[in-house]
Amino acid sequence: MLALSLSACGGAGTASDEKSLTVTMWGGQAQSAHVASYFTPWAAESGVTIKEDSPTDYAKIETQVNAGKVNWGVVEVEPNFANTACEKGLLEKLPQRVIDAAKAAGVPEAQMGECAIPNLQYTFSIAYNTEVFADKHPTNWAEFFDTKTFPGKRGFWKYATGGLFEAALLADGVPADKLYPLDLPRAFAKLDTIKKDIVWYDTGDQQTQLVASGEAPLVQAWNGRITKAAAEGQAVANDYGQNLISYDQVVIPKGYPNAELAADWMVWFLGNGQAQADDAVASGYGPVSSDAIGLVPEADRKDLAGSEEVSKDSAGLIDYSYWAKNYDSVTEELNNWIAK
Amino acid sequence: MSVAAGTRAALRQPAPPSFASKIKNFLRIDGWGALVLPLLVFLILVFILPLFVMLQKSFTDPTFGWQNYTAIFAQSVYVKVLGNTFLTAAIVTAVTLLLAFPYAYLMTLATPKWRTVMLVLVLVPFWTSILVRSFALVLLLRDTGVLNSLAQDAGLIAEPVTIIRTMSGVVIGMVQVALPFAVLPIYATMRTIDRRLLQAAEGLGDRPSGAFLRIFVPLSLPGVAAAILLTFVQALGYYITPALLGGPKNTMIGELIVQQVSTVLRFGFAAALATMLLVTTFLLIGLASKYFDLQKHLMGQS
Repeated sequence: MLALSLSACGGAGTASDEKSLTVTMWGGQAQSAHVASYFTPWAAESGVTIKEDSPTDYAKIETQVNAGKVNWGVVEVEPNFANTACEKGLLEKLPQRVIDAAKAAGVPEAQMGECAIPNLQYTFSIAYNTEVFADKHPTNWAEFFDTKTFPGKRGFWKYATGGLFEAALLADGVPADKLYPLDLPRAFAKLDTIKKDIVWYDTGDQQTQLVASGEAPLVQAWNGRITKAAAEGQAVANDYGQNLISYDQVVIPKGYPNAELAADWMVWFLGNGQAQADDAVASGYGPVSSDAIGLVPEADRKDLAGSEEVSKDSAGLIDYSYWAKNYDSVTEELNNWIAK
Repeated sequence: MSVAAGTRAALRQPAPPSFASKIKNFLRIDGWGALVLPLLVFLILVFILPLFVMLQKSFTDPTFGWQNYTAIFAQSVYVKVLGNTFLTAAIVTAVTLLLAFPYAYLMTLATPKWRTVMLVLVLVPFWTSILVRSFALVLLLRDTGVLNSLAQDAGLIAEPVTIIRTMSGVVIGMVQVALPFAVLPIYATMRTIDRRLLQAAEGLGDRPSGAFLRIFVPLSLPGVAAAILLTFVQALGYYITPALLGGPKNTMIGELIVQQVSTVLRFGFAAALATMLLVTTFLLIGLASKYFDLQKHLMGQS
């Protein structure tokens, strides 16, 4: 108990300040872009001070809530965590006005949670090295798994919800609308066929490094990272064939003193397509409100999840309600399979 | 160390060897002993207590019982990874020692100016983030990395030699982190060795190599023992370097513990894994001290 209260009192007190909101996201350039595009303008309008922390840490959310000292106001999380944590009572339920705002903004129903609204979307898609595959490159997951036609290492995220099982099943011929519940034995069998060629990555930087260097000329990557690297002149590109759409959500930890303020921000955010469009240009992640994509300059649109161009080739949305139930057990199976 | 030394000093008092008085002596704090109090309080707060909480959690989270420990053995992966962790730590320790011993010896022979240069060279890695160093090694060692490209351009090799994602990559990465922790204690011990003892041995007819092996090496053992312990125990906890430079087979237990804490949120299971690591480490050190008088070598007394 003592250890818990010790670790929790690091920033205690700040949260109860009259008009402040502490925003915690994954950090890096993306967080700077998000804060500059859709927190700072709101804060200026409403006279709120924004405080920042990073990166998101689920253990810290749980510890803060259990200790009753919640310092984080708006936290960017993965949807499966939002789902599980909401059920466990670790998060504030969305007030009606936020739900209404989301409806009015045309946010996809499937991306909403009981305690969470989406704040961005992206794809797990095929990133390839444009020098290694100058003439032709894989345009679907079956070709991505075809190491004869397209020799070289394959990069995957060492993370159960990182899209590898979905990609393996699509490659094996499972129709996109029949993916869930995942046929794990079949997915592992397909992954077995390229196991020796798999290179695992843990971070976004590793993805671009792997593709750009040619170390793994094919990587199942987050499209925004590759778009940014390509814009910097690196020899990488996205192919959106059978892309899997994923999204992040923002939540309010249970008991946050300024929870009302956090909900105010959510309403503002959902109704402000321009702020989302600005963020999309700055961060490379797609906006969530339906009017926002139209406000993005046309040149940037084709590489954003949520755009017509990306959606038409998509194999659909990652089903995080499946992952909320199965994350723990599949993680264990993945650990086992990797170590085998 | 000073606690132990102080305790031993207290034990050497000519007190009757009854158990009660031994305890009394053990607890007795004289003026000098009080110097250790701030550190003791600090350690109790930030180390002993959390350790206790961890131990308790491993038996109570989510429910009371052994279930976290039985879960470890229900999956072969955890035992396998635990084994791999000790194996990796042992290899890293051995390689580190092979490099550190001659380096430290050379430092004792060097002129003061070169000794400073050598010392700085050992210390430089201390001032750079482990993450940065590991990433730099990836750029250097990968199939399309600097070393492989240079060797290929020079015609030395036809195909790139795979170094990262193998045990070699892990060992290279971890040894460079561990090196200062081995060089410094060995050098500190070697520096105090009276070199006239070697001359005396040679004067009595031993060959230089014999004098070195029979006189110098045994006298340097306290430093070597400290180096082994520091390197080995430290290496057990690494996971970033192996994750970046190793392959799937080189996963260390630290990585799985972090995964349990930060993404799966099974604190009790993570605590059980950490306890397993701790207990196994103590067992190994206990076993080692049976064959090797750790106390003598580490404290410099018998």
